[in-house]
Amino acid sequence: MIQMQALRVQRGDKQLITSLTMQAKKGEVVVVLGPNGAGKSTLLLALTGLHADYAGEIILQDKTLPHYSHQEISLQVAWQGELPPTEFGLTVQQRLEMACSGKLEKLAQALAYFELKPLAKRALGELSSGERQRVEIAAIMVRDCPIWLMDEPTAHLDMRHQVDCLKLMKQEAEQGRLIITVLHDLPQAAAIADRVVVLDGLGGVEVGLAKDMLTAKCLEPIFHVKLKGNGYDLMPAYQKEYHGELYEKA
Amino acid sequence: MNIRKNPYSLFCVLLLISLAVALIALGMGEHWINPLSPSSDMESRILWELRWPRLLTAFAVGGMLALAGAWFQVLLGNPLAEPYVLGVAGSAAVGAVSAMIFMPDAAWAVSLGAFVGAWVGITVVLFFSRLGSARLLLAGVVLAAFWAAVLMLLIALLPERGVALAYAWMMGDLSNSALPIWLLMLVWAAALACGLILSLSLDKLLLGEKHAAALGVNVPHLRKLLLLLASAVTALAVTAAGTIGFVGLVVPHLMRLLLGSLHQSVLIASAFGGGVLLMLADTAARTVISPAELPVGVLTAIIGVPVFLWLLLRRNA
Repeated sequence: MIQMQALRVQRGDKQLITSLTMQAKKGEVVVVLGPNGAGKSTLLLALTGLHADYAGEIILQDKTLPHYSHQEISLQVAWQGELPPTEFGLTVQQRLEMACSGKLEKLAQALAYFELKPLAKRALGELSSGERQRVEIAAIMVRDCPIWLMDEPTAHLDMRHQVDCLKLMKQEAEQGRLIITVLHDLPQAAAIADRVVVLDGLGGVEVGLAKDMLTAKCLEPIFHVKLKGNGYDLMPAYQKEYHGELYEKA
Repeated sequence: MNIRKNPYSLFCVLLLISLAVALIALGMGEHWINPLSPSSDMESRILWELRWPRLLTAFAVGGMLALAGAWFQVLLGNPLAEPYVLGVAGSAAVGAVSAMIFMPDAAWAVSLGAFVGAWVGITVVLFFSRLGSARLLLAGVVLAAFWAAVLMLLIALLPERGVALAYAWMMGDLSNSALPIWLLMLVWAAALACGLILSLSLDKLLLGEKHAAALGVNVPHLRKLLLLLASAVTALAVTAAGTIGFVGLVVPHLMRLLLGSLHQSVLIASAFGGGVLLMLADTAARTVISPAELPVGVLTAIIGVPVFLWLLLRRNA
């Protein structure tokens, strides 16, 4: 579905990714991990055609990205990223209508899924960051594109909506979408990832199956953090370091 | 029918309001003349040869400024943007005042000077069009300061009589526009039409450049087009009437408050609203202390500043 060949991504003078070759297929969830500033968001932008400062090739379906118009890419690829500005008073409904291009039943479905119906008439600026993030996830839902690129979809969300969001991503992948997402939370990554791309922040990239990549051995040298556990339980060992044994074991 | 949702009914309602305001404003002046039945040939000539062209000029210029203001606000992603924010008015003023100095005998030279000056300003700004919104705005503000300095220098060089003329021009004057009425009305209509064609893309631009691009908008293209369009419309408005403040800043915001922020209705309402506001302001300018006249730019600012401050407080609450 989307293929990267010897992809080298830079931003200004900084070399973010020296060489990335991988093929992502429909039905897959690919999680991108890496430290701040490693180029995770920039990689997603490059795949959307919004960041042109790269060498190598990005092949979408059967053609390289520069062969598509903005309009054509937008039918294939939906992007979720930073929260949109609120200065001009757009409402939730208006923001979602811009994304849904007339598919109103999709819109109603997304409003219901993220419990946004009571907020539909409110201006984006009146909402909390978590509510605005829900609007953004709903906006990617109504796009109905085969490829979803999601930049920290669970940011700002409370626990229940994090769970709902991850569940949605997994379901949508099972129904044939390709989902490439940036996450920072390792158990969340483990919960949905089929494959993992790790950027080390120095230009290096590793790609592998989730079960091989989400291990302390693989990630400790990249994040410079002591990790404990494995897979679903993989997390930083900070509790013991700072707090000792305060809580009873479950 | 909900006029917020239906652009055709909005257009028709605003057209009727504009005509009604125009009719009342037409009658007002040193003496009230009933526009529907002027009592003499003289009165009829005052109505249709003096007041009517000036009203239409006010309407077109006001609408153009409000449209340009709405465009600059979305282009720069900044609610405080207005048509003169990138220094186009400053360079136009430099052109106009230069014409007053160097060709003091030709009346048309002032308009020509303003037009050329505006385009010099636009050309300089276009060099910066590739910068992001924040830097483009910064570049514009600095350029405006530069033009203001050049203007001060020129005014220092002007003989005494010229200073008064220069100030009158800078405060806006609808009484002796060198541009034909039909041209101004045509530009007004063309600007509104362009705005409506672009309105869906402009809405998406409200989400920020990345979101707009991800929704299929060719953002660099749109930005360049918008910058050129808004600047060109501003240049013509300035050529016709000098610098008239606050119409371009306040009217789009008022319309957003009344109708929501989608551009189809905001642009239609701004084109008419700006026109109506400037017709009213200019009618006040020529009647309040008639037969003398107040500068219209002063009146729009006196009306505009309190409205805008109230708006800011309301937004904050």
